[in-house]
Amino acid sequence: MAIALIGLVAFPLFGPPVYFISFVFWVFLYVCLSSSWNLIGGYAGYLSFGHVAFFGIGAYATAMIGKIFGLSITMTLLATIPAGVISSFIAIIVGYPCLRLRGPYFAVITLCFSFVSQLTVKNLEFLGGADGLWLKSMDVPVLVNRTIFYELMLFLTVLTVWVSYLVGRSRFGAGLRAIKEDEEVAQTMAINAPRLKIMAFALSAFFPGIAGGIYACYLSYIHPDVVFDVNMSILQVLMALFGGASSWVGPVVGAVSLTLVNEGLSTFVKAELARIIYGLLFIIVIVFMPNGILEFFSRKRRKIER
Amino acid sequence: MNSTLIFQSLISGVMMGSVYALLGVGFSLTWGVMKVINVAHAAFGLLAAFFAYTVFHRYGIDPVVSLVLSVPFLFFLGCALYRFLLIRITSARAVIVSSMILTFGVAIILENLALLLWGADPRLFTTSYTSKVIIVGPFYFQYPPVIGFVMSVVGISSIYLFLKRTYVGKAVRAAWQQPEASQLCGINLGRISAITFGLAVASAGAGGVGMGLLYSFEPHSHNLWLIYLFLVVIVGGVGNVLGTAMAGLIIGVITGLSMAFLPYQWVNLLTFGLLMVILVVKPQGLFQSEV
Repeated sequence: MAIALIGLVAFPLFGPPVYFISFVFWVFLYVCLSSSWNLIGGYAGYLSFGHVAFFGIGAYATAMIGKIFGLSITMTLLATIPAGVISSFIAIIVGYPCLRLRGPYFAVITLCFSFVSQLTVKNLEFLGGADGLWLKSMDVPVLVNRTIFYELMLFLTVLTVWVSYLVGRSRFGAGLRAIKEDEEVAQTMAINAPRLKIMAFALSAFFPGIAGGIYACYLSYIHPDVVFDVNMSILQVLMALFGGASSWVGPVVGAVSLTLVNEGLSTFVKAELARIIYGLLFIIVIVFMPNGILEFFSRKRRKIER
Repeated sequence: MNSTLIFQSLISGVMMGSVYALLGVGFSLTWGVMKVINVAHAAFGLLAAFFAYTVFHRYGIDPVVSLVLSVPFLFFLGCALYRFLLIRITSARAVIVSSMILTFGVAIILENLALLLWGADPRLFTTSYTSKVIIVGPFYFQYPPVIGFVMSVVGISSIYLFLKRTYVGKAVRAAWQQPEASQLCGINLGRISAITFGLAVASAGAGGVGMGLLYSFEPHSHNLWLIYLFLVVIVGGVGNVLGTAMAGLIIGVITGLSMAFLPYQWVNLLTFGLLMVILVVKPQGLFQSEV
């Protein structure tokens, strides 16, 4: 584990092409997003289909903080932390009424929330409206620039996965799992379901908020259609479910493998064809491995051992 | 703002809303009866619209007439989809969620098939009657929305009558109310479900052509249509056919009026905001379920 981590940290030092650094940056981004989604969607079973809203809010909060206070790019990167807090805060406000809904209703309302936040940003002039916002960019060579963002995203991703691991082992995580199994029974066993759900929702909005901020600095230009892209919400859900949403490993495996598959497919075949194969993959996974690929393979191994 | 204009936008809102309802009724049925949320519902509608577009531009056959071919085709496609894929997940604990993911995969496939076959350009039916209007007193009615409205009335009432009057329709309702008990009464649940699903997908085809008469469409359009589907179905109450029709009219009126008073970019925001408020306040829908 430690060796793998050191290897990842040192990866840019071996001087790989910029393409690879950017690609691994994307992998980290998705691992971070689907792992934080998993806190509410996987552990508590509340499928938020609008989680990209928090990513977008983080991106815009960072950009606005940087703009209002006229911060340099390094300071703007630090502003991602208050941006994460802002998106957590918004998650608490939104989550309070929304988390009373269950199943598909929760999925629909969160999806709507992401559209509402996208359209609001698009219609507000002081947030750049439909023109988007520019951020300051770093005056360093491309490779150094990409390496800095690579390391930042790596750090955030490790932090997210670690928190997800800790939550999974804690009483908090056990409470969330009880809610997933049966919310009424959980409440009769003195689990304060509304509070746990709000906490999980806020926590799962915090990391995407920071990731959104880092992404905004990475692109140095943000647009509502990019940072509130609904496909991103759906992808993080699918990645977590693909890997297996009941543990911290699932989203990591799901995000890494799906990003690799997507990249591999779109390199070798036509984009539309690649997407068709991608769609087939979802069908295959849900029909044959409803609990994710991890459980599918571990069960198979158990069968062989027997 | 004079009263003629308000009335005019009210009427066109009703006509738009009726098409949303036609698109939504099958969606509501599968969700209510089979606990399957078919995210690909609007994509099936889009497929029918594209088919109608091709038939119209190549052979000059009217889009509405093309439904004679596409509706039976979609019916069998829907039946097949149920028999070969959906039936495998109906035993899962979280059917609704699994079905959303499965049909999301179907939606991706359909969307990209449409991209491959028809390209990404927005399409519009430009029939001989597209720009014609009927003038009644001070009001102008465009032909396409009127045709959409008629299609919707015919489509929804035939689904309603099918459910209320025919044997198979009664079996569908029985299967919804008491899945186990209906099986004891000799209802083949698997076949009933396949028929329901096929019917729902077929009605999506009619709705898709209706939407194509009103708006331009491209392979990604089904995402926006899907939001309207959720809106109509949740407001009307899941599984409630007449409720869906009523909800379509209400939402049509609201969009029609807000288009008259608000700048265009705020209309969608209002729609989504409305759906959020309704979900929080009254998630079971505005109408009593009566099936």
